[in-house]
Amino acid sequence: MATDMKATVDEEVGVGEYQYGFHDPTDKYVFTARKGLDRDIVSQISAMKEEPAWMRDFRLSALDIFFKKPLPTWGGHLGDLNFQDIHYYVRASASQERNWDDVPEDIRRTYDRLGIPEAEKKYLAGVKAQYESEVVYGSLQEDLAKQGVIFTDTDSALRDNPELFREYFGTVIPSNDNKFAALNSAVWSGGSFIYVPKGVKIDFPLQAYFRINSENMGQFERTLIIVDEGASVHYVEGCTAPTYSSESLHSAVVEIIVKRGARCRYTTIQNWSSNVYNLVTKRAMAYGDSLMEWVDGNLGSKLTMKYPAIYLMEPGARGETLSIAFAGKGQHQDAGAKMVHCAPNTYSRIISKSISKAGGRASYRGLAKVVKGARNCKSNVVCDALILDHASRSDTYPYIEINEDDVTIEHEASVSKISEDQLFYLMARGLSEAEASSMIVTGFIEPLVKELPMEYAVEMNRLIELQMEGSVG
Amino acid sequence: MSTAILPPAGEVHAAPGFSEAQFEAFLESRGEPAWISQRRRAAFEVYRQKLAEPLNPEEFKRVDLRAFQPARFAVSSAAAAPAQFETLLEKRADFAGAVSHIDGRSVVARLDDKLARQGVLFGSLCELLKTKREILEPHLMSRAVRPEADRISAWHAAFWTGGTVLFVPRNVTVAAPLYSLIGLSSAGVADFSHTLVILEEGASATLLEETGSAGSENTGLHVGAVELLVGAGANLRYVQLQNWNHHVWHLAHQAGAVARDGSLQWTVGGIGARLAHIHQQVTLEGAGSSGEVNGVTFATGRQLLSYYTQQTHKAPSTRSDLLYKDVLRDEARVVWRGMIRVEAEAQKTDGYQRNDSLLLSADCRADAIPGLEINADDVRCTHGATAGRVDADQIFYCMCRGLSRYEAMHMIVEGFFHGVYDRIAVEAVRETLSHAVKRKLGIER
Amino acid sequence: MPEFEKVATLDELPPGERKSLVFDDRAVLIFRIGDDVYAVEDVCSHDGQPLTDGKLEGTAIECPRHGARFDVRTGRPLCMPAVEPIATFEVRVENNEIYLRGR
Repeated sequence: MATDMKATVDEEVGVGEYQYGFHDPTDKYVFTARKGLDRDIVSQISAMKEEPAWMRDFRLSALDIFFKKPLPTWGGHLGDLNFQDIHYYVRASASQERNWDDVPEDIRRTYDRLGIPEAEKKYLAGVKAQYESEVVYGSLQEDLAKQGVIFTDTDSALRDNPELFREYFGTVIPSNDNKFAALNSAVWSGGSFIYVPKGVKIDFPLQAYFRINSENMGQFERTLIIVDEGASVHYVEGCTAPTYSSESLHSAVVEIIVKRGARCRYTTIQNWSSNVYNLVTKRAMAYGDSLMEWVDGNLGSKLTMKYPAIYLMEPGARGETLSIAFAGKGQHQDAGAKMVHCAPNTYSRIISKSISKAGGRASYRGLAKVVKGARNCKSNVVCDALILDHASRSDTYPYIEINEDDVTIEHEASVSKISEDQLFYLMARGLSEAEASSMIVTGFIEPLVKELPMEYAVEMNRLIELQMEGSVG
Repeated sequence: MSTAILPPAGEVHAAPGFSEAQFEAFLESRGEPAWISQRRRAAFEVYRQKLAEPLNPEEFKRVDLRAFQPARFAVSSAAAAPAQFETLLEKRADFAGAVSHIDGRSVVARLDDKLARQGVLFGSLCELLKTKREILEPHLMSRAVRPEADRISAWHAAFWTGGTVLFVPRNVTVAAPLYSLIGLSSAGVADFSHTLVILEEGASATLLEETGSAGSENTGLHVGAVELLVGAGANLRYVQLQNWNHHVWHLAHQAGAVARDGSLQWTVGGIGARLAHIHQQVTLEGAGSSGEVNGVTFATGRQLLSYYTQQTHKAPSTRSDLLYKDVLRDEARVVWRGMIRVEAEAQKTDGYQRNDSLLLSADCRADAIPGLEINADDVRCTHGATAGRVDADQIFYCMCRGLSRYEAMHMIVEGFFHGVYDRIAVEAVRETLSHAVKRKLGIER
Repeated sequence: MPEFEKVATLDELPPGERKSLVFDDRAVLIFRIGDDVYAVEDVCSHDGQPLTDGKLEGTAIECPRHGARFDVRTGRPLCMPAVEPIATFEVRVENNEIYLRGR
């Protein structure tokens, strides 16, 4: 009962055709928790996963915290979110597959459309595909496994690597950190767990795909990445979701520990359909002489609130975040970056590019903080925003808190529309206004796109074109 | 450490605090017409309501008011003594008029005859509300500073004690600057001075205002307001140099509104106060209007100077340009939180904001939070913020050339402030600021 | 060096209790844990807001907003998201009286 690839166009999106707006029938699901959120549901999740007592207790304390905390009064509009009207756990297939051919057919077909097998052949070391709440398919190339790299789903890691797991889980983002971290801590399911041993450098990106399929489904993956001393890894996360009229909630938590001399890059291209609330807490702790990079692309969702953070914990640590947000009709991208300098001789850089069109709202929200004693730090933040038409809106809310004198801190931001001179120049050379605008916007986001793996760069540019087509003419 | 407020011997003080009983006593002592009392009562109602609500977290998150005890202060009921005041600006220019208030009481109000004959009003708010009600009433706390804004504006609207009024009629140019002083002399006094400036179409004027304390130890409270209403094609230069001692609490709402093709140049100096929080708003209401804001602050000891600024563009082809430069030392703290808001109709807006902080010690702290909320597309808006310290090499270089460390530091701080001094058109103000900074650095006494 | 100043009495501070006061122009929180008294500046080093109502577990106070914990004896941060200590004050208890020394 495959649906047509071009079906399910949601008029509200204004993107033209949402080519990933398809879904598979959900009656084949093995288990779906009833809607709503309470101690019973949380205990049920823990029991179904056969978790140790400490994790069940952790979830239940987190649930208490979630109920006590108020919704944030800043950022996007969360008033329409009804927490009791969501399924918090859906398990699509009974076992985790290793071979592509063993995966249930409609699930496989979904991933075929998303191009996973080709991707694996060309680029990948291993793929974790999250369909609904359980990781259905995974494979890890043998040589990485031999080097001691662990790349698995978070549930399996809790079971198979309990000491390693428990040592780091919840240390970067405690349950109490914010309301949505508490929610995730209570109902988390799936996500990636990566451990890279000392000195191991993985040359190609590790990838994961996520999907939300069932109506009113919530996605609460929990990712934990530990890069041991001198090691290096690049992790790529990209998501799609079908188009539905009722709300979907994606509230993930990503914790990353980058030890002395290690490197980690985490790339996300978020392209949820326009009914999704995407409320994510991502934070990395970078130790001596390490490098942490966030490459964060926000194209989809109804509302995204996400501020990848890097705590520079020891001297020599460096952090860089490249962020792009595209807000189309009915969308609010409230994104940004946080850098906290906790030690001397640390360096951070944030480059944020945002575009708003057709009434969309793009907001940058960020923090550059230097604690007392963090001498000789440098932080540089550049935020550029393009507003493409008079219906759209752009905001910038940077916070700069400096408690140390021996620093160099620079921040600049600008908001403008496409330069008429540039447009004129390109149109004089035969391009239509739409083509010229599209080209200028592509150039605007180029610093980020050039950091993406090739297929993502292609997908990104194609998506931008789609967005632009919807806006002009 | 804990401060006991004792009225000087022989002075009569109202019971300190601002409860209903004190408000009634205050009203009675004013002897004002019903229309003023009514306004005060309405404001007092709002004040009581707002006290029960929390303060706006975005505005006050970094301003810790827990050590602030309003009940220790009282509006002065004594007759004003023309105290000997050490002022910064007063002697530096030939002023065409001067208005002074000490402890909330009018002490001086003079204006050159020539200007008075042209219809210029410059004097004390209490007096002028009696004689020129019809000119002033429509503008007083209705267009710029609103009593309902928060508990501080409501508090001021209930208890305002007096203040400086400047009214310039159509097409009149007041070439020489005018002077205004807000002084605190006795301990424990609360001053609620209100500055009201109205420039009609095509008018032009310069008002230089300063605040000062008679001694270095007396505590004081200033809950003030400044309203600057610039008419079409009019031009106003306004300076407020806040130079209290380090024991005064300064809470103020200051707002300017500029009509079509008008321009406002507003300079803010922040030197004194134990804690100062200024909510500063500039609204570009008419097409072609412009507003330039300059800030020079120097915080030392345990001062906290906080500026919450807004540049709001409501009409097309408007321009705003804000530059705040702060120097910090010891354990001082400066917070600047600024927003440029461009409404959908304000196409072809140019909006700029910049804040630079120079940190002279390891324990001081600078928070800079610029902001942009843009609802129009054909605009150019930018903001920037920097923070850093004095380059050790620069000091070394100066000292090699025979300057003492102090002198070297002073040169560098002067150089730092130059970017904003250059924007201030009034020579006397530049000199005054430079002198005040020098004194605070410890060069001059 | 600043002198010690009396801020409260032991009677006013039963074991396990805390008291808010303004001392040295700062908001301060004093705790009595068993027979010992500790004093910290009532400001969380993570978000600059009050710690006043935070849960006390043993000698650790937890900030009610984001879960940062601090050792009230030394001010040391014990978990994320706090990375800086909070300020503490020297305490002296003589007879029934509690004294703090300014910083």
